Amino acid sequence: MKHVDEFRDPALGQVLAGEILGLVEPGRHYKLMEVCGGHTHSIYKYGIDDLLPANVELVHGPGCPVCVIPMGRVDDGIALAHEPDVIFTCFGDMLRVPGSDGTLLDAKAEGADIRMVYSPLDALRIAKANPDRPVVFFAIGFETTAPSTALTLKRAKAEGVKNFFCMCNHVTIVPPLRALLDSPDLRLDGFIGPGHVSTVVGVRPFEFIPTEYGKPISVAGFEPLDVLHAIHMILTQLKEGRCEVENQYARVVPYDGNPRALEVMSEVFELRPHFEWRGMGFISQSGLKLSEAYADMDAEIQYSVPGIRVADPKACQCGEVLKGVIKPWECKVFGSGCTPERPIGTCMVSSEGACAAYYNYGRFAREREVV
Amino acid sequence: MTRLIANAAAALAPTCDVTTGCITCGDVAIPLTVLRLDEGRGLALCADDDGSSETVEIDLVAPVAPGDRLLVHAGTAIARLTEEAPQ
Repeated sequence: MKHVDEFRDPALGQVLAGEILGLVEPGRHYKLMEVCGGHTHSIYKYGIDDLLPANVELVHGPGCPVCVIPMGRVDDGIALAHEPDVIFTCFGDMLRVPGSDGTLLDAKAEGADIRMVYSPLDALRIAKANPDRPVVFFAIGFETTAPSTALTLKRAKAEGVKNFFCMCNHVTIVPPLRALLDSPDLRLDGFIGPGHVSTVVGVRPFEFIPTEYGKPISVAGFEPLDVLHAIHMILTQLKEGRCEVENQYARVVPYDGNPRALEVMSEVFELRPHFEWRGMGFISQSGLKLSEAYADMDAEIQYSVPGIRVADPKACQCGEVLKGVIKPWECKVFGSGCTPERPIGTCMVSSEGACAAYYNYGRFAREREVV
Repeated sequence: MTRLIANAAAALAPTCDVTTGCITCGDVAIPLTVLRLDEGRGLALCADDDGSSETVEIDLVAPVAPGDRLLVHAGTAIARLTEEAPQ
């Protein structure tokens, strides 16, 4: 039996679903946000929402790193990719994210040397194999991914690799959550916390959610029973009038996270004063850049990038989807003008994007019937 | 014409497998088993349950030994795994 099989047991899922039904109060509407795109993916892949009472609504959060990249940053990446001799490397999903004038794949078709990598280490290998050419790694991701970039930059420095540069788009999870909680157009009852971000940062950073905002949160794993269990834990807290951070994913997530990862991140990165998020605007201290000690590897310092803010396409409602204000199928262009094959908005690009998750699992338009 | 080529390239480009999620850029990590160590370079050769192997950064979870189960994201082990069945 694989490690995950027991967390996909349909019989246990039915037991949990039955208990969840007993936890909800008739006539009360529960709005829970799954922060992480990985949870959105699990919910629609396994049909978890179909197991919930109709008055438990799951809304999708801003936790897909591809989805929150603004168009201006894509344009900056494309400009870097067109610099003479540059080999531009990035994760696969980024290739199809539209900038204001095309995607990185378009730039590749126009002659830019753009290569997909599975890890920052792959990008460093390309740099070592091409010592006469500058290699730029387009780094994206939350705290799950940032340590990987940090370790690779440390390795490049230690090995004396001079042609490896990073365009850093790493973001942090707490500031957008705080922005959402401060948003007047969204009333949430609780949060399903991001499991793998928490392996790095731990559970402690989420304590402000119950203490300052009075909402429960359960940090959850990604198997269907993990997500159901987290929902069960949040609803139990609400029923009992409690409000705490709970750790459903304790088999992987230590309370204090991974101290070594945090140490490496603090050595290599520092907080930007502001960073732009698609659909959410500029959020203070929500993005990372390379620290002074790594400035010689910072692509934004070593090359000039346009740095122009580009407004999101008018037809695209990714911002409202990312804030959980509307469901993906309520967007004007969902499934018509915007599909995974020809995305307009970022939420349709990554498989973790809420729109792509809905589209790929056939949730084109739906409301659950009240039981 | 350029866009036509790009669209053809998009059709050929590897995309994330929606049945397993995006392993590279999201909050998705996969469990791998350590096969052997390259301690001098802080790397380990690891394999998934289907036998596919990759080189993994182990700095964040060191020390590790062959047989250890690691949670790997973007080529970096971010946590150790302990087998635990749901209660």
